[in-house]
Amino acid sequence: MLEPRPPRGREAGKGATLHRVPESVVTLRDVSKRYGTFAALDHVDLEVPRGEIFALLGPNGAGKTTLISIVAGLVRASAGSTLVLGRDVVSSYQFTRRAVGLVPQEINFDPFFTVEETLRIQAGYFGVRLRPERLEEILSALDLESKRHANTRSLSGGMKRRLLIGKALVHEPRVLFLDEPTAGVDVQLRQSLWAYVRTLRARGTTIVLTTHYLDEAEELADRVAVIAEGRILLVEEKRRLLERYAGKTLRVALSAAVGELPPPLAALGARLEDGGLAVAVVAPPGASFGPALAAIAAAGLPVRDVETRRMRLEDVFVSLLNRGAPRNSA
Amino acid sequence: MRVPGQTVLSPLVTTSLYFLVFGWSLGSRLREVEGVPYARFIVPGLVMLGAVTNAFLNTSSSIMVMKLQGTMVDLLVSPLSYGEILGSFVGAAAIRGLLVGSVVWLVAAAFTGFEVAHPLFALFMLSLVAVTFGALGFVTGVWARTFEQVNFFPTFVITPLTFLGGVFYSAAMLPSPLRTLTLSNPLYYMVDALRWGMLGWSGAGPLAGAGFVALLCGLSLGTAYLILRSGWRLRG
Repeated sequence: MLEPRPPRGREAGKGATLHRVPESVVTLRDVSKRYGTFAALDHVDLEVPRGEIFALLGPNGAGKTTLISIVAGLVRASAGSTLVLGRDVVSSYQFTRRAVGLVPQEINFDPFFTVEETLRIQAGYFGVRLRPERLEEILSALDLESKRHANTRSLSGGMKRRLLIGKALVHEPRVLFLDEPTAGVDVQLRQSLWAYVRTLRARGTTIVLTTHYLDEAEELADRVAVIAEGRILLVEEKRRLLERYAGKTLRVALSAAVGELPPPLAALGARLEDGGLAVAVVAPPGASFGPALAAIAAAGLPVRDVETRRMRLEDVFVSLLNRGAPRNSA
Repeated sequence: MRVPGQTVLSPLVTTSLYFLVFGWSLGSRLREVEGVPYARFIVPGLVMLGAVTNAFLNTSSSIMVMKLQGTMVDLLVSPLSYGEILGSFVGAAAIRGLLVGSVVWLVAAAFTGFEVAHPLFALFMLSLVAVTFGALGFVTGVWARTFEQVNFFPTFVITPLTFLGGVFYSAAMLPSPLRTLTLSNPLYYMVDALRWGMLGWSGAGPLAGAGFVALLCGLSLGTAYLILRSGWRLRG
């Protein structure tokens, strides 16, 4: 497959034309990172497919930021190889860093400069002249137009985080790493950032996202990787993950409390809730609630309301961590 | 140059005070050193002090501030080569050092005269010294974890060595033990060589200072480059 976008900046001036790009934009092969005896990453194999939004989920200290930092060049792996667009991040660091944009978890800003100056300096680091229309687009997408000439120290926390995203986009990276991009950002703005992330994906940018907001991953991600204690537990398309792992819960509210469950319902694993005013039944993925509903009808329970709820990514995530799911790339 | 009061004006005021206090108060008593009016004799040392201190602080404090602000990340994830990063830092430091040195010289020259004996050599020496201390500041900035560590070298190493390196006196004026101490001070040869460039007089000869600074310049730039390439204290 031919990469539609030619290299930018100085790379373009070196006679490089279209590159043959592998399906995997980011590849980690047996990558480990050790700090003394502590393994921040432990023999990680991972491939991030091109053009997807890829969510990297895991508890604090799981190794998400270490992984991202190795790809971006902030941290050197102790072992293994890391490739971006098929090129090694150490030996071809100038090529790979031009292809990567990083939004770090920690907010940083230089209080000597305005928003526009900050973006122009960042573009300069990448050998890119920030065109006026590109600058306008970034400022508009991140709702920073009114702050264009404001000193960065006067920005709110949310604005500073948006400026970080703008900085990561100035050189139009092919793969964008967002490390907790919406932490401290209000709900309305999160929605607009999500919309912009989708726009970037539609343009062909691959996005790797770490987040503690699992609804964010559920909303955005095409594929999910779960990492814990430096090891990848699972990589799966989000849709298939939810289908495979996410069961459903049937909750039947009763108009009068019952003292104990009828034996056929108890045999189906049902339980009483709200002091006998509700019956809840959990069904594994693919299972039917037909037998449970039939048992409720046969027992003559006074049904007031019926509600079903599918497990969300958050439930799946917790369940996977508790189980220590096996590595399962898809 | 976002903060010219701090980068240029402050060292200008400090060094000018040295000049006015030492040059004029002592100059009225000492009159001449090695056949040169005292006020004029101390100008190369003050120019050197301004250039060295400011070149050093420009890199060391810039890197320290970037580390504390977290903006070092922006540089480290950029595709800039190690040579480009080092060249930018050291180049900026050298420019600031030369700027401060030039401004100090202009102020002093207004009182002592504008003639320079070997202007190209003087400029070469000052540039080499500014690059050297810019590179040493780079190494210090990468190594330091606190501003206290950054300030250690200018306060406890550079300033004493410069003051004891013949800025305000000729080594020949000193009694034997102090003269030996001065002659073992590397900064003495730098000041001495610049003095030859500016005044045409030197105690040790200009080549000793130029050779020593060239060696130190190569070592400091090489060390800074290797540190940057290794990622020591910058990349995890």
